[in-house]
Amino acid sequence: MAKRFVTTTVEIEGREETKVVELPSRDPTPWGNDAELSVVGQRVARMDALEKVTGDARYTADIKVAGMLHVALLRAPVACGRVTSLDASLALALPGVRGVLTVDDIPDIKLDGVKLFDQSIHYVNQPLAAICADTIELAERALDAIMMTVEAEPHVVTAEQALAADAPRVKPSGNTPRSSPRIMSRGDVDAGFRDADVTITREYRTPTALHTALEPHGAVAEWSGRRLTIWESTQGIFNTRRDIAKAFELPLSSVRVIKNYMGGGFGAKNGASHATYIAAALAKKLGRPVRCILDREGEQTDAGNRSATRQRVTIGAKRDGTLTAITLDATISLGIGGWLAGPARIYHELYRCANVRSSETFVYMNTGAMASFRAPGSVEGAFGLECAMDALARELDLDPLELRRRNYARHDQDRNRPYSDKHLDECYRLGAERFGWTRARDAVPDYGSRIRRGVGMASLTWGAGGGPPAYATVRINRDGTIEVLTGAQDLGTGARTVLAQIAAEVLGAKIDNVRTVLGDTERLPFASNSWGSITTASVGPAVRVAAEEARDSLFEAAAGLMHTEPDDLESRDGEIHAKSSDACMLIGEVCEKLGDVMIIGQGSRGPNPDMTAISAFGAQFAEVEVDTETGRVRVLRIVSAHDSGRVINPTLAESQLEGGIIQGLGYALFEERVLDEQQGTPLNPTMHDYKIPTIGDIPSIDAFFVDAADTVANHTGAKGLAEPPIIGTAPAVANAVANALGVDVAEIPLTPWRVLALGARS
Amino acid sequence: MRLIVNGAEHDLTPPSHETLLTTLRERLDLTGTKLVCGRGECGACTVLLDGASVYSCLTLTAACDDREITTIEGIGRDGDLHPVQAAFIEHDALQCGFCTPGQILAAIALLGDNPNPSEDDVRHGMSGNLCRCGTYPKIVRAVLAAAERIPPNG
Repeated sequence: MAKRFVTTTVEIEGREETKVVELPSRDPTPWGNDAELSVVGQRVARMDALEKVTGDARYTADIKVAGMLHVALLRAPVACGRVTSLDASLALALPGVRGVLTVDDIPDIKLDGVKLFDQSIHYVNQPLAAICADTIELAERALDAIMMTVEAEPHVVTAEQALAADAPRVKPSGNTPRSSPRIMSRGDVDAGFRDADVTITREYRTPTALHTALEPHGAVAEWSGRRLTIWESTQGIFNTRRDIAKAFELPLSSVRVIKNYMGGGFGAKNGASHATYIAAALAKKLGRPVRCILDREGEQTDAGNRSATRQRVTIGAKRDGTLTAITLDATISLGIGGWLAGPARIYHELYRCANVRSSETFVYMNTGAMASFRAPGSVEGAFGLECAMDALARELDLDPLELRRRNYARHDQDRNRPYSDKHLDECYRLGAERFGWTRARDAVPDYGSRIRRGVGMASLTWGAGGGPPAYATVRINRDGTIEVLTGAQDLGTGARTVLAQIAAEVLGAKIDNVRTVLGDTERLPFASNSWGSITTASVGPAVRVAAEEARDSLFEAAAGLMHTEPDDLESRDGEIHAKSSDACMLIGEVCEKLGDVMIIGQGSRGPNPDMTAISAFGAQFAEVEVDTETGRVRVLRIVSAHDSGRVINPTLAESQLEGGIIQGLGYALFEERVLDEQQGTPLNPTMHDYKIPTIGDIPSIDAFFVDAADTVANHTGAKGLAEPPIIGTAPAVANAVANALGVDVAEIPLTPWRVLALGARS
Repeated sequence: MRLIVNGAEHDLTPPSHETLLTTLRERLDLTGTKLVCGRGECGACTVLLDGASVYSCLTLTAACDDREITTIEGIGRDGDLHPVQAAFIEHDALQCGFCTPGQILAAIALLGDNPNPSEDDVRHGMSGNLCRCGTYPKIVRAVLAAAERIPPNG
């Protein structure tokens, strides 16, 4: 049969890309809300939990290869300048030291616009050289024996410094990327403001936040002849393979990238990293396997971050709350590089408003580069927009939830296209009900007391449709066990389990007999990076198609054995039944009779619907207690209502919601990279000083889904859900603090000193 | 020196400054114990030393002569899981799993000291173990559920 290739639009991390897609062999009827499903939608236990609770799960840092060497990195001590001399001869003479890697030993590799081991220094902790030894301890000790002199030059480490008229140049081309400022506009904002009865202007600031994955970036590299195997803590095995093959001028088929388990990614592990290139280059140079794992300081300072932003927002509205115009003027601190994940998009999407204009100025500076961090851009943008909406509600003396409901967006306004499905209204209704919003709102804060209570909310949207290309193979063994093979990654999200559930559903198999194999470029068909909350909606449909193909073959085989026709058969719970008689066989019995005939189904992900926005939505509610004497904010409870289409596994999905909310709490209350502006040095590169939430900080969390299959989005009905819960958490908390204190909140994290500086209405 | 790890004796001569974490991971290949911060800030390297939880990154191997160390590999295997491990699976108290061995050992130590903890006791007792995925609500539930399941005589 002739294959047909078409193009389609896929949204990843807020960016739309056009992709070529091969039309799948079949286009199954979508599983609607009334579909009778017995495995999909069930609370199946996480499939790799046993390995994780016994310590059997091997992460990249646990991989040991015979003869393996270890790496320590020499990093830049200044924010800007150049290396004037570098002599490793003393270090190389130390016992156990096997080699050094400098800029002369490696191909020309650029990461975030900076050449690896560039002897021009662009930020503190930039890698300058690597040393390799029998143990990590020997390698680290040898660093001290490297003689290096550097010459410091003036640097800029804040957006204000970088944009000053006489600022030193961070890049030869200047301190902003060529495409900055990025302007997006619809309608006529001037006319919109003329129509407004009320106009408010506010300025918001968000911090540089660090991913702080517990497992740092790292890789183990081993060459065998001209072939290279990489074990890597990555969200994208195929991207890593592409990057490494390019750098070392290898055919893709000569590079194998393996990722079985990883200790968190959160957006920062999307391709080959410094560690990958260094491990591969040293392994090549020394002829031995090499492990390169970033230390904690390296991870916290040179492995990506969420950009700090300044957002100046003006909103115009009618007296009844109808929005007439929104403008955003934002400055985004990229650091030395990264991509342009600005806060603007959510301003254009979340509410109905004919006139919206945004300007995003991205700024280069002498600090570590940004990297995608769970809903990049929209987390920052939601803080500005949703705090401004609350400020507007106060100005209009309207209930903040009512203001949002009055400006409900019915379609994607910038691109004038419908949503595939949207149940934000249900999120508002159910969230408010479970939170007791009306009662809580009506309780006037006691402005006379030291401890103040307040409530706040925020809504959210996030592109979550996923898309092609994604491939899966389903094969059935002679004992009836089933393997789902796909080159996706499970970061701890539960992808392994969810994909197995889809296959088990189609095949009528017992879930315990299905296993998902992920994370190996050599053995598995392509799936894209696990980022942008896309894995379930991208790979799930491919698995469904593959499983349907396999089921058809299985039924063909079974029909002969059961003396009936394939379309007379149905399967459930591991048994194949004839509809016309009481004939019944176990899947395993059928396969055993086939011997080593292997039933294989191939599946791929089809195109997305044309001219359709596919998004997830949600509404988040927070109650806080603020101590006006100490400035301490305690979040008492969070209610979080989400529309992410069909939920394949409610338990794992709720775990994702809770995790996103908890990261959002960290962003709201504690997390902030602090720099010494004089030196450009990060001051809190440890887990003690960079505060992520602990178990003691966690409020009561009621996170749930409006479980409605999105049958337009794809035939599983599922959409992405991992990033949405972090988006509205910080503004909901900030709005609750504003409600408690009776003042505007303009900056996070809400550390005690910032809260005290807010003052409080008395 | 003699190190007793999960019931097995090892004769070792580690340098005096070597941490227990390094000995476990690099010499004994017990990689279930994780290195995250290396300075006693996160709890990922938690093991039991004579039944009490310690950060193995801050414990010198030389100080463990003849003492009993229990790592995650010595807690329970498939078919014979410790109630804390079973409860972590049942309540989905893990996501990426990197902090999980430390969480489980911290929970076992907590329940050893206090077999009937309140929710506050669990929060207090587990507060030295960080989780970036945000599994905390489910960890609380899992530890409380495990407490119900562990027979009173331990």
